[in-house]
Amino acid sequence: MKHPSEEHDLIRWIDGEMNETERTAFEEHLKHDAALATEAQKMRALSDSLRAHMPAEMHVPHADYFNTQIGVRITQMALDEARSKQSAGLGGVLQWLRQPWFALAGAAALGVLGFFLLTPETGDASESMILSSYTPNTNVQARTYHDHNADATVLMLDGLDAVPAERKISGINIQRSELEPELASTTMYNAQGAAVFMISRDALGNPMISAR
Amino acid sequence: MPASAATDPGEVSDLDLVKRSQAGDTRAFDVLVTRYRGRIYAMTYHLIQNETEAWDLAQEAFIKAWRALPTFKHDAGFYTWLYRIAHNVSYDWLRKKKIQGDGEFDDERTEHRIAAGAEATPKGDLAPDTALRNAELGQRIQEAISRLSPEHRQVIVLREVEGLAYEEIAALIPCSLGTVMSRLFYARKKLQEQLHDVYETSL
Repeated sequence: MKHPSEEHDLIRWIDGEMNETERTAFEEHLKHDAALATEAQKMRALSDSLRAHMPAEMHVPHADYFNTQIGVRITQMALDEARSKQSAGLGGVLQWLRQPWFALAGAAALGVLGFFLLTPETGDASESMILSSYTPNTNVQARTYHDHNADATVLMLDGLDAVPAERKISGINIQRSELEPELASTTMYNAQGAAVFMISRDALGNPMISAR
Repeated sequence: MPASAATDPGEVSDLDLVKRSQAGDTRAFDVLVTRYRGRIYAMTYHLIQNETEAWDLAQEAFIKAWRALPTFKHDAGFYTWLYRIAHNVSYDWLRKKKIQGDGEFDDERTEHRIAAGAEATPKGDLAPDTALRNAELGQRIQEAISRLSPEHRQVIVLREVEGLAYEEIAALIPCSLGTVMSRLFYARKKLQEQLHDVYETSL
């Protein structure tokens, strides 16, 4: 086993952490120590290989879903925080998620998820804020706005093929949601308190919506 | 410390996005997530060596960052701050799992596509046999790293992937400079032992 100082010198030389004087002295030492020179050469080659095969940036699997899940959790945290404040101070007057926010055009194979947070500070109890949206079909962009005249949140789906007039489109009025961290899932409930569906991931990490 | 991702002219700066995020703008935070998810995921993956766990831990790091945003003082770059959070999240997970240096090979590990523009070799078109050798070597390296102890894996990732200086590694872990150097030395020795045949024949 080498003396610690020799190990440290070797490491510092490989990592370019020596100053000019130290480096010159160490390289002079290597000329007279063939075993150390061989080890230094191998260790430097190893270091080069590590850098070559361990990229500092990688493709994130299901990257859009990665972002969406973060949005869901942030929303859930905000809801929980507001709910606890509300129950402590205002007696639970707020009604969460009043607006229908989920629409499915099944035959068009399109799903859009939106996450709403009612903001008590606005003073307008009917207005919701869309925090995040997710469209499995990347050709479709979801955008929303609040129509004061209609007192409704409008969901626009840009890029969606025209839906035949006779095709039925269903909407679900979600009243509340519950995050289940252990299952990495969120369950949505309707006005009657029944679980309507659950958002989670399958074994491959793909987004999955399960009817309840 | 790790540098921020280069931004294109006209691209919203980290500072602006962080200020908007601190004001509660989740869309601004989403831009930050998109900007840094590839680097944070790479770090968690190299430390954890498991795609699913690394994905979850990277996400956990961003959630923790969102929660801690009110305390972010702009005295360090956002990525440096975020990186520390991700590192701590991953290393805590590693310690809890008590992964030892002689850990078993991880069957769940999968090959990854490298993000466009990311620094990684091989560059350019390679002959099929060369590309195969590179892929095999990459696989061998990943296997060897997965068998390192959390402490050794940690210094290898911080030094070889993130390019942190010894002082920065010591401050992040935290430990003494001597400990950093000793861990780096023995981590590399263990990797050399596991890759002995590779180095005898091709290096």
